[in-house]
Amino acid sequence: MSANFNDYRTVQVWLQGVHEQSGVSPEADTKRVQVLTEFCSRVEKQPDEIIDDCLRDVDGGGKKIRAKGRRFYADKINEFERQSEGTSGEKRQKANYIRSFLIHNGVLIQTSPLS
Amino acid sequence: MEFKEVVGRRRSIRYFLPWRPVPREKTQIVLEAARLASRAGNADFARAIVVERDKLSKADLQALTLPVNAGMIEMAPVHIYWWGDLQAFTRDMPSRATEQVNMGVLNISHGWTHKFVNEVAYPQVVQVFSSDPVLNAKVTGCEAGLAISQALLAAVDEGLGTMLCTYPEVPARKVFGVPDHWTALWVQFLGYPAEGWEAGGQRPRPPLGSLFHEGRYGTPFRGTEEVAAQLRAQKMLQDPAPLPWRKEEVRAVSRMLGLPEE
Repeated sequence: MSANFNDYRTVQVWLQGVHEQSGVSPEADTKRVQVLTEFCSRVEKQPDEIIDDCLRDVDGGGKKIRAKGRRFYADKINEFERQSEGTSGEKRQKANYIRSFLIHNGVLIQTSPLS
Repeated sequence: MEFKEVVGRRRSIRYFLPWRPVPREKTQIVLEAARLASRAGNADFARAIVVERDKLSKADLQALTLPVNAGMIEMAPVHIYWWGDLQAFTRDMPSRATEQVNMGVLNISHGWTHKFVNEVAYPQVVQVFSSDPVLNAKVTGCEAGLAISQALLAAVDEGLGTMLCTYPEVPARKVFGVPDHWTALWVQFLGYPAEGWEAGGQRPRPPLGSLFHEGRYGTPFRGTEEVAAQLRAQKMLQDPAPLPWRKEEVRAVSRMLGLPEE
């Protein structure tokens, strides 16, 4: 795995998207990347590999979501949320960092609202 | 609320309070508004299946979920699955037109008689429209859409959040057991908004003249600034999106609901 997660193309896309679309400051990037690192270590994949597992190229350009890959990571994120430490809100926030990483890289993934 | 303000306040609300139920009478009002909408031949184009989210089984809710409706389907306590009845025009028009001739709605002054209904309007118009699948779908979608539009506005008038979204037709047929001649249109979500009713501001629209023409295509319809000012005063024209606090609002609401916030 790369020593610096910020060097991954998909991590750069993610952080740029977070700053531009949501208007959040880069100050918390370290935490975001730290949570992603934790998740990547758990699934034994690099960030770019995760996105590659969820998207495939289509003829004529563009990408299409691989349903199987998305389902796999949706389950892994749910598991990550359940097994993380902290309050339910903290666990959800960690899992949502990973969902955010996928969403900003073009993988539509959603979660149920907390009730 | 005044009509113009209702039109001005309508937004697609995408964040609902999942725990706050919609009073049944409000759902009824929404349906009544749809029932009274303009419709060709006074035919029953708009059909609906109303469900309370919590009465759907987990499997059925899952079956009705698409990537694009996923958040709302779980947040909104009431769903109205709108369908278009593809047989409405041929089935209803003859009897409804006859009824309207009898009631003085369709009159001699405009050429309407029972003979005209049975020998001209039905065979030469309605049957021709209905035998062409494209025309039939066009009429059905348009007429049902009028009802759905009134349902949206009634929901806003009742202080609810509402929006239209797509739903998967094949699973929905199975879940609801609807007749084969109904075609899936939109699901309307109803609930109390978890976001401000402004939902970030009024959505941008192209200028009047680029959408609407006067006399013939290419001549823009020109409105006046006086009318626009009047509509702003009457709250039909409102502050456009994005309102300055929108990003903070989205993050806060998402955090509250446990949704990805950035």
